[in-house]
Amino acid sequence: MATIDTTITSPDAPPVQRNGWVYAVIIAVCVVNFLPYLWVVMTGFMDGAAAASRAPQWIFTPTLDAFRYLIFEKGIMSNFMNSLIVALCSTFFSVTIGMFCAYALARYDFIGRDDVSFWVLTNRMMPPVAVLIPIFVIFQTLKLLDTLPGLILLYTAMQLPFVVWMLTGYFRDIPRRYEESAMVDGDTWFQAFRKVTLPLMMPSITATAIFVMILSWNEFAFATFLTSTNAKTMPPAIMAYSIGADIEWNVLGAAVVLITAPLILFVLVMQRQLISGLSQGVVKK
Amino acid sequence: MIHAEPSQRLPVHPRSRGMLARFGPSNRKVFPWVLMAPTLIILFGIGIYPFLYSLYIAGHNVILSKPYLPRIFVGLYQYHALIQDPEFWHALRTTLWFTVQAVFIEFWLGLGLALLFQRSLRGASVMRVFILIPMILPPLVAALIWRYMFYPGAGLVTYYAGGITRALGWGEIPFLSDPTIAFQTLIFVDVWEWTPFMFLMLSAGLASIPRQPYEAAEIDGASSWRVFWTITMPLLRPAILIAVVIRTMDAFRTYELIVIMTRGGPGNATTTLNVFLTKTGLEFFDASKAAALSLIMMMIIIVMSFVFIRVFRSRTEAAE
Repeated sequence: MATIDTTITSPDAPPVQRNGWVYAVIIAVCVVNFLPYLWVVMTGFMDGAAAASRAPQWIFTPTLDAFRYLIFEKGIMSNFMNSLIVALCSTFFSVTIGMFCAYALARYDFIGRDDVSFWVLTNRMMPPVAVLIPIFVIFQTLKLLDTLPGLILLYTAMQLPFVVWMLTGYFRDIPRRYEESAMVDGDTWFQAFRKVTLPLMMPSITATAIFVMILSWNEFAFATFLTSTNAKTMPPAIMAYSIGADIEWNVLGAAVVLITAPLILFVLVMQRQLISGLSQGVVKK
Repeated sequence: MIHAEPSQRLPVHPRSRGMLARFGPSNRKVFPWVLMAPTLIILFGIGIYPFLYSLYIAGHNVILSKPYLPRIFVGLYQYHALIQDPEFWHALRTTLWFTVQAVFIEFWLGLGLALLFQRSLRGASVMRVFILIPMILPPLVAALIWRYMFYPGAGLVTYYAGGITRALGWGEIPFLSDPTIAFQTLIFVDVWEWTPFMFLMLSAGLASIPRQPYEAAEIDGASSWRVFWTITMPLLRPAILIAVVIRTMDAFRTYELIVIMTRGGPGNATTTLNVFLTKTGLEFFDASKAAALSLIMMMIIIVMSFVFIRVFRSRTEAAE
């Protein structure tokens, strides 16, 4: 912001930019991107009559009816907990396991390294619906249908390619002489990894973990077809309120608030890590 | 290939004997495989096994709703049947057209936005968060939001747009019930949802471009249009590659958006390969046909990303 002022006085600075239209464009984009979500959130706080009216009700008395209905009558909090457990566990496992694979790909020069790296990536290319039927059959045989461990295992596998891909780039950025000097000082490989490399990697690991957690929290296709009652997560639970002839828009709005609240909170708190983390990964790869 | 030499001289730790000597960190040939083993095993279980199973099913005749039928080996019949099925070609065309349009629009809009943010703006970080919102929302929620927006007799867009068009005497716009308009509506929502992604990736790419070429161009008095095409675009190529490849792969398999907003309709106007696959496998229970279709899709995606990577690599090398 200070740069704007200096450009006016400094003689060899570029000509002052006229930014009026830029603000107009960007603010228009912000409105288009935010307003639909805001409107659905507002609907969540309406009563049934206001939500059902044909003309949009911009002014209304907020009520928690829809939330009460979802939480006390529909027991949506159990779906919420399922989603939370699945997202946290699969993030933990995929990051912990994928980290070592990424380390190997970044640090060692072995035969077939590029093939392994490409193969890992192809696993992310498969459309989820394409592997749905085989996975359904496997889960049926292993009695994993409609269980949390089943979903956790599946999401861990789904997120691994992404984790490996992101972290490989980050590991390459860390000079290996830090680890090597620790090992010369008598640390074992694992001690050097834990005490030197891991702390340096923490910001990148955090950024990757955030992304993975968001992807797991949002996953829809597998959750719909592989869970029914015990392990049902938020996305399929919410789907139920959007079908049928008369949709209760305020209930749908409240459900949208519940599923997005953790994401929005998280992103607001972690905004900086999120953006810088992704940027680094892009630039390096 | 980048940095292998110094660590070859690592002292072998006195404690590493037996198992550790054979598979441990000092064995530079085997140790990376030990580190990768858990990942590879899990990916094998959830990636390769379903793939092989799909191959097996696609070579047989399996109807999920009739498990009592004997499984007959049918060779390449399922692929052959698909290739002769006009529904398949329609779905393929729809998918490709959807992907090309969506990614093209998202790329240019995202690039434009990223370039605007290159200027020093007040409140840039707050505006950035607002712009990123659609991408942070679950795809399911984005689809539900717009289904609501376009819902006849309830949505914001239908109400206000309908007000305008009724005043002009055109009646309401059939956003989701006219085949052509429904398809464009889906592209609009995809653009709304994923332009922020392009914006984020391309912003990061722009931030990593060094200043010197621009300073040189300024001395030469090059026009900003020329600077954009001769400096910004070539230097942005790596970021463009990643952003476009990821977006293409994801647009190609868009699922939630289409299933929630149109279910592939009206008719089959918005039936993409993914929706066609779900219908075949989970509504008509023709597992074999669905498996063959999924393998064809997989091939298309791999070929596409290979071509992309080749083209961009050769161009980048030529530029250097």
